[in-house]
Amino acid sequence: MPILQHLCQLLYDSSFGTMLRESNNAFSVIESIHVLSITLVFGTIAILDLRMLGLILRPIAVTRVARSVFPLTWTGFAISFITGFLLFWAESAKMYPNSAFRTKLILLALVGLNPLIFHTTVYRRVHKWEALHLAPWRARAAAIASITLWSGVIIAGRAIAYF
Amino acid sequence: MLACVVTLAAAPAYAHHSFAAEFDITKPVRLVGKVTRIEWSNPHTYFYIDVADASGKVANWAIEGASPGALSRRSWEKDDLKIGQTVVVEGYRAKNGSNTANGRRVTLPDGRALYGGSPGDGGPGDNGTDQGDLPGTPIAK
Amino acid sequence: MLHAWFIALAHSPLGQFMQTSRWGFAVVEMVHLLGLAVLGGSVLIVDLRLLGVVLKRESALTIGRDLGRLLMGSLGVMVLSGIALLSEEAGKCYYSPAFRLKMVFLAATVLFYFTVHRRALQVAELGPPTLFTRAAAIVSLLLWLGVGVAGRAIGLL
Repeated sequence: MPILQHLCQLLYDSSFGTMLRESNNAFSVIESIHVLSITLVFGTIAILDLRMLGLILRPIAVTRVARSVFPLTWTGFAISFITGFLLFWAESAKMYPNSAFRTKLILLALVGLNPLIFHTTVYRRVHKWEALHLAPWRARAAAIASITLWSGVIIAGRAIAYF
Repeated sequence: MLACVVTLAAAPAYAHHSFAAEFDITKPVRLVGKVTRIEWSNPHTYFYIDVADASGKVANWAIEGASPGALSRRSWEKDDLKIGQTVVVEGYRAKNGSNTANGRRVTLPDGRALYGGSPGDGGPGDNGTDQGDLPGTPIAK
Repeated sequence: MLHAWFIALAHSPLGQFMQTSRWGFAVVEMVHLLGLAVLGGSVLIVDLRLLGVVLKRESALTIGRDLGRLLMGSLGVMVLSGIALLSEEAGKCYYSPAFRLKMVFLAATVLFYFTVHRRALQVAELGPPTLFTRAAAIVSLLLWLGVGVAGRAIGLL
């Protein structure tokens, strides 16, 4: 058995994973928090993305919108990550072969790469364009990538149940 | 008691809601079999039974149920089923034709019957309550 | 009479499609989820503005107007997809206490949004946060959260 699959099986068979998987309420509560946290992660970052695309809040500087959104997005991501990890722990052996789950992980990696590129390139010069209604094309590309990738993560997450 | 993961021959792509979307109302089944495995897991519970057909050939069926919490609220608990027990499952076969059925009604050896539908789901026995209207002794609350 | 409406929806062409389609429910549910994310995000930013936590120096009315459009747009998506989801399991939803609670919360939330909440944005435009604007924000957040949690419960009960 490949080592990754073996690790998944270990998590799955563990008493904690089993307890969570067989729980009457804990799994449902954790899953509900995970689902509702998409509002904190995607919902907030989408507002920054839409600002850079010049669709909303044009009178407000991009940096102001970013400053208000980032703490929320990061908080939401922490919540998603923790609850997601717990869900994974409970279902790990079933997640290993699940193509929707694997797709979700790949998209998550890409959705992390996007801001990395964004922040080290076009955003470094943000003070030059923060007041513009329409951000530079690289920023707009990052915004579209962000919206697309996060939507993909959410869709893949929902699809896990169907594979 | 808990099994390690086994890949079902044809993993059901369940539509996740409503009787009619996942299971085929034209394919009612009544299965009598020995419980071989129980997965009392979220998001769906499963138990597996060995069913012998007329010629004696044994096939393993997967019986799908609601989450542990949802079943618990209808007084099904994990230890109501025991490996090796012979149970009667009435339900409907999965639309994809695999050896999967929903546990619309499971009758235990002691005669108690567990109802697997949801109030209003439109399947047989649906009378808008969580005990259903199928004949037999409902499980005591 | 309400029950008859639910049954009619289940028997409608939409209902028939949703009940027989293999992927219909899944796709519509995904749309419902994306709408939820955008709706939640806009609610959060607007109400945090009313609380004076974010974008304090920016116009509450500008934020309220732009994010309000986003909110209403995503709410529209959620209502339409919600009706489609409902048509797939109308009977179950009719009897579901979670669904009924969600509808009550939704009605209360929308009513609150167009009355008290709107007034709070006007007050917030004129000066720093007041007890009124803060209370309106908190009630709004709780009401929307109630809609979301009740919605989750539909599938779990």
